[in-house]
Amino acid sequence: MPRLRLTGRTLWITALIVPPLAVMATFVAYPIGSALAYAFYDWQGLQRGEFVGLQNFYNVLFTEPFASWTQRAFMHNIIVFFSLMVIQNGTGFILAYALWRELPGAAFHRVAVFLPVVLSTVIIGFLWKLFFHPIFGPVNQIFRGVGLDFLAQPWLGQSSTALGSLIFVNAWAWIGFPTLVFLAGMQRIPTELLDAARMETDSEWVLIKKIVWPLVAPSATVVFILLFIGSFNWFELPYIMVGLDGSPFGSTDVLGLYFYRTAFGNQSAGVQDFGNGSALAVLIFLFIAVVAAFWTVRLRKREIQL
Amino acid sequence: MARLTLRNVKKRFKETEVLHGIDLEIRDREFVVFVGPSGCGKSTLLRLIAGLDPITEGSFHLNERMMNDVAPSKRGIAMVFQSYALYPHMDVYENMAFGVRLMGLPKEEIESRISEAARMLKMEELLKRKPRELSGGQRQRVAIGRALVRKPEVFLLDEPLSNLDAALRSEVRLEIAKLHREIGGTMIYVTHDQIEAMTLADKIVVMNNGRVEQVGSPRQLFEKPANSFVGTFIGSPKMTLVDVSRSGNRLGIADGGSVPLDELPDKTPHLKLGVRPDALTVKREAEDGFTASVVYTEYLGDDSYVYARLADGTLVAIRTHPNDIFEPDEAVRINLNGSPVHFFDAESGQRLEPSAVAAH
Repeated sequence: MPRLRLTGRTLWITALIVPPLAVMATFVAYPIGSALAYAFYDWQGLQRGEFVGLQNFYNVLFTEPFASWTQRAFMHNIIVFFSLMVIQNGTGFILAYALWRELPGAAFHRVAVFLPVVLSTVIIGFLWKLFFHPIFGPVNQIFRGVGLDFLAQPWLGQSSTALGSLIFVNAWAWIGFPTLVFLAGMQRIPTELLDAARMETDSEWVLIKKIVWPLVAPSATVVFILLFIGSFNWFELPYIMVGLDGSPFGSTDVLGLYFYRTAFGNQSAGVQDFGNGSALAVLIFLFIAVVAAFWTVRLRKREIQL
Repeated sequence: MARLTLRNVKKRFKETEVLHGIDLEIRDREFVVFVGPSGCGKSTLLRLIAGLDPITEGSFHLNERMMNDVAPSKRGIAMVFQSYALYPHMDVYENMAFGVRLMGLPKEEIESRISEAARMLKMEELLKRKPRELSGGQRQRVAIGRALVRKPEVFLLDEPLSNLDAALRSEVRLEIAKLHREIGGTMIYVTHDQIEAMTLADKIVVMNNGRVEQVGSPRQLFEKPANSFVGTFIGSPKMTLVDVSRSGNRLGIADGGSVPLDELPDKTPHLKLGVRPDALTVKREAEDGFTASVVYTEYLGDDSYVYARLADGTLVAIRTHPNDIFEPDEAVRINLNGSPVHFFDAESGQRLEPSAVAAH
């Protein structure tokens, strides 16, 4: 029977593996595991109550008022995802193409486009909250200055524009990321391949649709999946700009805010409900994991080895 | 019908001029090879003809039509790239169909063109494969097929054989020659390999440093090189240039012996003598000739090449009988054997025509 001997080599390996494993177990595996466990218990404040099985999941999905809150937040996340897909990733692709074709000023814009990405979300949120200030904010001042008074709206203060404004700010801040990923994908395309295509078509559109787009598929997979995950985990920006309630009147409420409110309570409700909160967190996690995995597999299939 | 006329074509990249005024006439159905060392501008010139890069100055006409501002896809020109540049996300059929579909041809016409090209290039069974599932030689054929189906007036081939291994290279070379005979289009072929140039071309354009050094048939270039660059570039092993001084009917190297000639250029006392390996003899004991010391002997089966260093340090190649093996450092005498030799101006390197000299 082989004995485990603590030779110099195994000692080394053990010494190198144990600390990171311990850190991962304590700070990643344990919290996830316990959140999962919390979801199956009844909670009174910080006090764990009875094991209630799937009751919490049933609550957040099917009992009022939780059910309609969940539904509303989920709908908002979907809107955010599709809008950002078009605005952030779509414009990102176009920007990347422009940078790649080295239109004038490409070197400057390559940096400019990516600059907001390195800013902290807290700063961005705060900055744009000031920009959107209905009276003193530069956004409205500029609109008034150029005579477009009807566009001078309380952007964050009315239900019809609040979510759109948040989406805009998110796109402004993050557009550099898809741009950079797409640009890297485009730069991987061999020059001769494009030359060959240019010998056969003078249409920029055909070139993009038939050659560039299929060949940047790996980049598209990355930005689509990351955007999907980001959209359904959306929290910091709305938290900073519109607060935990998704004001005004929950018009900007998303799953992240709703979960936080439910689990940890807020000024207005003041109730902590780890049970329902954890159930929500587990549902969000499962939804993201399943959909992201499904699409990753689907999208990988259309990628091409260059 | 495709006649190409280039007049004073210049190309500058920012401040750097890489082509200094190219004048060239290419006739219908001609197989023209641009040859020259890397960086000589041959590929750039091809890209100007293709329209992939704009012409800075001068004009390019295809038949009577000025082409400078015509888009590459509208020129009636197809190109085969060095890396083949097949679309990796399309199968072979789609690769070939891509361009002709954009030309707006009817479906039946596209299909018949592709099957014809596939038959010609013997790749019918490859049509459903993706480029990554093909070998180098097969990719090469697809690239040629893609050019073929467009039925262009002019074919451009940019070093199409350089990514193939040596055995395949000569095979594909033959196929390209055969293809040219069958389809009869005008072909422009870029290579740095003078053997490809010699074997394929009706007309060779030798380029160096952004200029055309000489245009002519392989035979003209070999037999009457316009200057020392063409002389040394065409032919393998290459021509040796020896700096010689004239004295009567003899050409000599200082302290290195001399050789007699019946024909010499007039006037110039100093010139370059260009000799190919088979215009020389090498002997251990001889009264006359250049003195030299053997560096090494290359045995090639049918013959051997002796490389020897002359008194002034020039390395000279001499073709000999395969049984004549010389040892390194052996002292030898080198003489002309009566085969044609070439004379070039010592400064400009331009060809000098000899005339008979009276014997002393």
